[in-house]
Amino acid sequence: MTGDSQSTADVIVIGGGVAGLSTAMQLSRRGSRVVVVERERLGNGSTGRAAGLLGQLRGTPAATRMLMDGVEIVQELEQLADVEIFVQTGSLRIAATAERAVEIRDLVAMGQSVGFDIEHLSQQQVAEKLPSMRTDDLLDACYCPTDGHLQPAELVSAYIKVGRDNGVDYRTNCPVEGLILEGGRVAGVQTASGPIHAPVVVNAGGPWSYLLAELADATLPTAALGHVYLTTRPDPDNPVDRLSPAIRDRHLRLYARPESGGLIVGMYGVDCMQYDMASLPVDFDMSAIKPRPDDLFLALLIDAAEKRYPWITPRTPMTITAGIMTFTPDGKPFCGSMPDIQGLYYCAGFCGHGIVQSPAIGVIMADLILTGSTSYDIDAIEADRYFDLDGFQQRDEIQQRCYEMQGSYYGKVEGKS
Amino acid sequence: MKILVPTKRVPDTDQRIRVREDGRDIDDSNLPFVINPFDAIALEEAIRIAEQGSDVEVVAVGIGSDLYEQELRTALALGASRALLVETDTPQQLDSWNVACLLDAVVAREQPQLVLMGKQAVDDDANQAGQFLAARLGWPQATFASKIEFVGSQIRVARETDAGIETILVSQPAVITTDLRLNEPRYASLPSILKARHKTIERILASELGVIIEPRIELVEMETVSSERSCQMLDNLDQLVTQILEHAGGPASDAP
Repeated sequence: MTGDSQSTADVIVIGGGVAGLSTAMQLSRRGSRVVVVERERLGNGSTGRAAGLLGQLRGTPAATRMLMDGVEIVQELEQLADVEIFVQTGSLRIAATAERAVEIRDLVAMGQSVGFDIEHLSQQQVAEKLPSMRTDDLLDACYCPTDGHLQPAELVSAYIKVGRDNGVDYRTNCPVEGLILEGGRVAGVQTASGPIHAPVVVNAGGPWSYLLAELADATLPTAALGHVYLTTRPDPDNPVDRLSPAIRDRHLRLYARPESGGLIVGMYGVDCMQYDMASLPVDFDMSAIKPRPDDLFLALLIDAAEKRYPWITPRTPMTITAGIMTFTPDGKPFCGSMPDIQGLYYCAGFCGHGIVQSPAIGVIMADLILTGSTSYDIDAIEADRYFDLDGFQQRDEIQQRCYEMQGSYYGKVEGKS
Repeated sequence: MKILVPTKRVPDTDQRIRVREDGRDIDDSNLPFVINPFDAIALEEAIRIAEQGSDVEVVAVGIGSDLYEQELRTALALGASRALLVETDTPQQLDSWNVACLLDAVVAREQPQLVLMGKQAVDDDANQAGQFLAARLGWPQATFASKIEFVGSQIRVARETDAGIETILVSQPAVITTDLRLNEPRYASLPSILKARHKTIERILASELGVIIEPRIELVEMETVSSERSCQMLDNLDQLVTQILEHAGGPASDAP
């Protein structure tokens, strides 16, 4: 290998999470020489702590199409990498309050109008599908049989395998120390092990994305927010079938899905931990985040989980997974470039939905980088939608907007205006 | 019945631990501290005993500075009846013997029927304080407990030894040190976290206990052990087999 090929590329992707890995893989399949630089190890970070729930029916047709296409891309990856990534368990949305029941009625009407497979389920039907869940308080429920979850570790290994087969150069333990800029253009990155030159750089830094933007004096309105979920161990008294449907309970702000004979239960609470990424140690490892046994957010999660699954209590043997999500002011990611720096692309801010969005996002990023346009409707996720917009430039106001977005992620708290 | 649960505040060993430049201590900036995991198991066991019996008081004890208050509040949130902080300005001078001397004085004050504590602290791995304390008190001791049952006036303890499980009976009062498999500690419930915020943590100065802290062990130096690991990408399974056989020094002929 020559020194030249070590230090130049067509595209440098910063960040070895699913966003960066998918982008790198799609670019390499279309002939680009890609280097992925990762501060630590591939697929750690937010990717390594994700639950991977896939609910394809979203508020807009554009978002729904991305997720449905993502399933097809994943099915192709499963063939190429010989792994099972998509577990089609189906998904249930349940309502125990009148306000949430209205949401479900609207969702079913919307889904059926676009031909999406969705139906109302009676209380008894829900109880049959999920015997381990409390159902006597349900007013309505809907079922999407084609939903499920993507297994994050398998997805990561497939991205890496297919990327490597197409020549992607992965550099791990290689933190970016600076961006090389030349006359309003990006020209490469400065890493701990030397410079790498490329006319295109993709910022897929997840929670670190706003700090990477600052290296180019650019502003990216993302914020790093804590998230926690629990995974119960297999319990013979409360068996969780491997293919039992995922659930979303927006009233209790919970999601759940089967995992290895136990149950993953997570929560988008009104309040959450806020992280200042600049103050964390340079070698911070997200896998080492460990909530205290009397952590308040964890207690709120267990308390809510117990309301839906009465067999889950603070004494239930379980594993706690804590991590950092990257939120944006409107809950949508930033994909594409901004007017200030040529060649610098963004692919970050997935608000807890990075795993399931990543397959299509890789295609979109490759489209934008190689051709300047994409057939996808990306109005809602374009990176420049807050560019130079008042109220989205200062760190504290960005932080506050992202924090409020997280708090309303599962809808407003009922009974409050 | 009163159970005393001495705990130690230790750095979370799942984090990256760095030795300070002067080599005299670890760098504790950015480092989260926790109740020593073996002590957390002892606390859990004491709380379970209290839940099963009537009129059982669990007293969590910490020795150290003001910083300890957060861990003792955690103990209260998990279910300890009371928390007692033995204040000392020089916790770094406390070796296992001094800890045992202080706990000896706490036992004299509190008069518990049982002392339950971790078999060792994960920061220095000394594995001495429980044994020293039992010797000073003249009480029977059962170390490395993986099962604890009350049988009449005695306690039946399954001990994890290198050779297997040893079951012994001890009379009360006794010192029992806990091993990993005794139980799996709980998380605190929301109401108990909120209640623990208002509880008082009792404080007593180490000097008030009449113990003169005289270190018998001097810390000379700390250093980081670096492990040189390298990673090599292989193309196929045959290469892996070849590598394994090379590193094993050829095919094993006398495998057990």
